[in-house]
Amino acid sequence: MGPAGDRGDAVSDWRRRWQRYRRQNRFLIALYVLVLALAGGAYALFSRMAGLPVEELTNRLLIFLLWWFDLTLIVVLLFILLRNFVKLALERRYGMLGSRFRTKLLLSYVGLILGPSALVFVLSASLLSRAAASWFSAPVEGMAGAGVTLAEGLRRQTEARVSRTVESLAREVEAAPGEAVRIEVLERLHGLLGSQSTSWWRNGTPLLELLDPRERALQRLGGLDLDDGTGRGVRTERAGGTLVVRAWHRLGDGSLLIVGEALPGDLMAAQARLAVAGAAYERLKLDRPTMTATVVLGFGALALMVAFAAIWLGLYLSRRFTAPLLALAATTQRIAGGDSLEEVPLPAEDEVGLLVGSFNAMVRRLRQREEELSATVRRLDTVLGAVRTGVLSLDAERCRVAGNPAAAALLAMPELVNSEQPLSALDEVGLGGLADRIRAADGASRGGLTIYPQGVARQVEVAIVPLGAAPGPTGWVVALEDLTQLLRAQRQAAWSEVAKRLAHQIKNPLTPIRLAAERIARQFERGSAELGEIVPASCHAIVEHVQVMQDLVDAFSRFAKLPPTARRPVAIGELAAQVVALYQGVRPGLEVRLNDRTDGMLVALDPDQLRQVLTNLIDNAIEASDGGGLVTVTAGADSSEWVLTVDDDGHGLGTTDPELFFQPFFSTRGRGSGVGLAIIQRIVTDHGGVVRLLPREPRGTRAEIRIPAETA
Amino acid sequence: MVLAALLLAAAVAQPELDVALQVVPGRLTVQMIVHQELPVEWTSALAGGAPVSITYRLHLYRNRRWLWDQRLASHELVVKAQRDPLTGVFALVAELDKEILASGQESSQEQAVRWVTSPPSVEVPVPVRHEPLWLFVRAEFFTRYKLLVIPTAEGTEWVQRAIGETP
Repeated sequence: MGPAGDRGDAVSDWRRRWQRYRRQNRFLIALYVLVLALAGGAYALFSRMAGLPVEELTNRLLIFLLWWFDLTLIVVLLFILLRNFVKLALERRYGMLGSRFRTKLLLSYVGLILGPSALVFVLSASLLSRAAASWFSAPVEGMAGAGVTLAEGLRRQTEARVSRTVESLAREVEAAPGEAVRIEVLERLHGLLGSQSTSWWRNGTPLLELLDPRERALQRLGGLDLDDGTGRGVRTERAGGTLVVRAWHRLGDGSLLIVGEALPGDLMAAQARLAVAGAAYERLKLDRPTMTATVVLGFGALALMVAFAAIWLGLYLSRRFTAPLLALAATTQRIAGGDSLEEVPLPAEDEVGLLVGSFNAMVRRLRQREEELSATVRRLDTVLGAVRTGVLSLDAERCRVAGNPAAAALLAMPELVNSEQPLSALDEVGLGGLADRIRAADGASRGGLTIYPQGVARQVEVAIVPLGAAPGPTGWVVALEDLTQLLRAQRQAAWSEVAKRLAHQIKNPLTPIRLAAERIARQFERGSAELGEIVPASCHAIVEHVQVMQDLVDAFSRFAKLPPTARRPVAIGELAAQVVALYQGVRPGLEVRLNDRTDGMLVALDPDQLRQVLTNLIDNAIEASDGGGLVTVTAGADSSEWVLTVDDDGHGLGTTDPELFFQPFFSTRGRGSGVGLAIIQRIVTDHGGVVRLLPREPRGTRAEIRIPAETA
Repeated sequence: MVLAALLLAAAVAQPELDVALQVVPGRLTVQMIVHQELPVEWTSALAGGAPVSITYRLHLYRNRRWLWDQRLASHELVVKAQRDPLTGVFALVAELDKEILASGQESSQEQAVRWVTSPPSVEVPVPVRHEPLWLFVRAEFFTRYKLLVIPTAEGTEWVQRAIGETP
């Protein structure tokens, strides 16, 4: 990697570091303090370079720092508030979750913080401004002014006294003749007037100097420097820690007369302190606006810091309070929108944490249920894929249909396995009968149907079951049982059985016919004398057995040509009574009794076929009751079925399987066609019912027919 | 009415800061006189013995087309005054760019005020240019605070004087 690549990595590294640090509050605060310190230091440095006095520098630096602090705080506050307001406004515009709640929270915080903070700031600034004004009250100012005036007055009084003294001396000296007399006059008046310093100068040379030895300040004074050459005057000077007032008067001969006086040292020290205090007070007055500005800016900074901290804390708390709730709401919204179940990732405490924890527990439980349900569905899919029964599932409106592989193969519609298809698609591929059967179903139903997938006929058993409780099922399931092979096999088996039984039945009369014919032929060959008797007897036997065969063929024809069912309302009890009446006294010792429990009930049945069924059952019962007995016919109904039973006291069913009695041409009696019960079963089946034979205790048989009431 | 007109004319004719220039090659002599009445705070502080000052700011500019004016030089004349409350003497110092230009003593406040409002002439170097220069002068007395916190310098307005070519 070249230098360019290294530079790129370094830039990325710095960017990553900045991204990591810039979101840390401590880093931001430290940066802010550092910039503040640097700016203050730079300003102090430049001001020092400009040569400002230390006091002025301190004031300006303080004011600058306070201004900088206040301005930056205001900017930061405004930035935070504006940023949050703009962010919330955008969130509200785009309808983001929680924006309204956070807006209310932020406005409440800002109102609660800025209002009291501004009020406290205004009140504090006003109070402190007044307090600062009270520092410069009239009594203090009066005392300071009085001190200055006092010092001024004392000085002026001293100056006036010294001036008067020098004037008096000058008059006396001018009047005195000669220098010696003048000196004597000066010495006398010096003592008389109590002057501290009296001197007489000519051409810069002292002619006489009289000094009070107690006043050291006067002793250290030099001569008066009078450049302007004025004739008289007074001058006040600082000397030896006190003030010295000297007045001079130029005499007529050009000599100079000077009188001096030093003010008391202790008095001057007090006056100096007073003067310094007065000057400091004036200086303070001049700096009063600066002090007021400093105080106001300081309190402003304090109020801004409080507002800043409160708003920051408020925003932090609002984020902390609302974040788990918003995460919870967002998660529920996503789940409601169809997303997969997920837990709320934000850790939280207290009641909100309890809520989040409960939600997460619910999600875990639902996820477990979902997994279990998925496993069940997978198992069901596997089972449905493995079973040979075709299963179709439909929606509540029966508009969309899907199927398992068996159904898809049966209906020759492989697309049913992968996706839902409209039910009308069945119409388009020639399965309109099935589609109509599904559309017409108003509840659970079952029945046979011939369908023609790809033009090939198939017999199916169709069971339609609604899902959920009526009247509004949530879906439908259709089971398709392909009976084509079974029916074909059954039909072949039945025909084989019929052929076997028919052959057996035909073979029975054929043997006597063949024997009778052989007997005639044998006697005819012998020329038997009994031929005249044998031929009629044999012919009779042949005719008799041919008649049996004719009866057999007729029964077969009847079984094959059973007419279609023609239902109409029939009083079942009355019909049973009519049939039973025909068998009254049919055999001595045998009683046929009717037990009618129908209470005049009307049932939709084919009366002719029902009469045939009842006749056959009673015939069989009478046939089974060899030595008489009781045959009881009972007609009645229970909750959902119409029931007809025929009981006898005969020899019973024996060990034979009862189902065999319903097969055509099956008979245990060795006579009869053996199609009676088969015809009965077919009629009952056509009516949607069932027939069965049950053994009775201690002997006898019960034939029971049950036909569903709704079908009947 | 006439008196009012005369007073108004006098007020208009008398500027707050009178600036007189004398140009010699390479040097500029500036004489400044403040006609504006000094603030009460200033005079009372002077009378009370507090140190006070008047700062005269002199900025020399040249015009530039398409750009802001270029400051060629900047000078500051600080005239300080302080009264000794014991002797009643006013000590006066004039500093040009932190260098003492002149000093003096006055025995009365009127004389001291006159000294600081008409300070000694200032002589500053002027770069030799074949274009007109502009001198901006202002006198500042002290700092006030508007609305308690906004610092503003109390003084005269800026006075602008053109300086001809300095060959």
